[in-house]
Amino acid sequence: MPIVEQRSVLTGLQVKEAMRRDVQRMAADRSLAACIRRMVKFKGNALLVDAPAAGAPIGVVSRTDLMGAYYAGLPLETLVADILAGPPRFCFPDDGLEDALDLMRQEGIHRLYVRGAGPAEIVGVIAFADIVGLLYRFCRFCSQSRRKAKTPDGALARLRVGEVMSPLGAACGPGDPIETVVETLSAHRFGAVLVAGARGEPLGVVSKTDLMVAYLHGEPTAAAAERVMTSPVAVCSTQALLSEAIQQMLLTDVQRLFVTGAEAPAVVGVLSLSDAARFRSGTCRACVTSRLMTGE
Amino acid sequence: MIAREVMDTRFHCLQPEDTIETAVRRFKTSSDAEGKKIFGMMVTDSDGRLVGMLSMHDILLFIQPKHVEIWGEIEDVDPEPIFEGLLARVRNIRVADIMTTELVTIKPDTHLLVIVDLMIKRHIRRVPVVEGEAVVGIVYRSDLFYHLLRRFVA
Repeated sequence: MPIVEQRSVLTGLQVKEAMRRDVQRMAADRSLAACIRRMVKFKGNALLVDAPAAGAPIGVVSRTDLMGAYYAGLPLETLVADILAGPPRFCFPDDGLEDALDLMRQEGIHRLYVRGAGPAEIVGVIAFADIVGLLYRFCRFCSQSRRKAKTPDGALARLRVGEVMSPLGAACGPGDPIETVVETLSAHRFGAVLVAGARGEPLGVVSKTDLMVAYLHGEPTAAAAERVMTSPVAVCSTQALLSEAIQQMLLTDVQRLFVTGAEAPAVVGVLSLSDAARFRSGTCRACVTSRLMTGE
Repeated sequence: MIAREVMDTRFHCLQPEDTIETAVRRFKTSSDAEGKKIFGMMVTDSDGRLVGMLSMHDILLFIQPKHVEIWGEIEDVDPEPIFEGLLARVRNIRVADIMTTELVTIKPDTHLLVIVDLMIKRHIRRVPVVEGEAVVGIVYRSDLFYHLLRRFVA
């Protein structure tokens, strides 16, 4: 019986082609304030935490962990060791990207640390967004994609944001306390929550980074969301091309766009990089359809 | 051959709670006032104690996009408005959030060749001179360079 093997644009690519080599690390006996400063400065979503004496990685502190510490009212002098999650998950530079993605999916995580020859030697980190960025770059130079775009019906073959987005699960009001924002983020497993006006119009966004900075600046969790939100909101239309939306996310360092419908400016959905990645490169369907191959 | 001979006693400082916008403006005004380019400044608290250093490198690091390789490849999009949007994220950030806090300091009587060694090994371009808890000056790599090699430019 013939086995159909589906190949994707990731097939054959290795972790080392997409990983970042600057891994931000911190000793477990440093304070949460130092941890937040490092993450803000290097725009990281997580830090690899080393045992103070051994210098070997024992866990990871993510923005979600810091948001939890803020919500729990832990002082900023608390040690990183008290909130870290562990152990970190690893892969190797010559592992396949698809295998790395599978591992992330199984573990429900967004990054893997890349291990060198020894257990304490960390040579890189690979995050979900980096893989999407690599895919996007491949897609831009893909001859299939360019040819399709030039044909008269090329526009029909290209995905639009409305086909891929998720419905807007929840939003907060500008006067809602920060603790409500944290609860909303946790309950819906969002990376950021929309702050909307009475008619659903986008006023701002509160991301986990905004919450980390608020924590560092001593903002009480009872303060209104509008004090810490970022505005203007990164939005796109349901009719926008998915490729353009991915480009917008990658260029502006955001992991989601809020989607406005025909009755703008109300927000009707959200497009995350994860949504986009389900459709691989997102520029067209060439990647999936043209790479179906039949093996023994 | 000690730090006191080359240190600059006219220096400009930032406060930890200053915004990045204020810091950038201060870099410009300080450079204009001193007649030379200032690439990094000391950060002192309300008691005048040194708490950090902020350099242009720190600010550039913060505003640099994550997927910078894509920026180098786009041709069909006007990057200016997108970059303006990226700059907006400095709005809530203060000097204390991105300054370097692991500092190397010297005393006024530190030997110049020890300072050279520090600058080479730690990849630093300027070193604050501290006496007790007070900042008394700063040694810039260029001043040190021309002082040590002045016989070649005389």
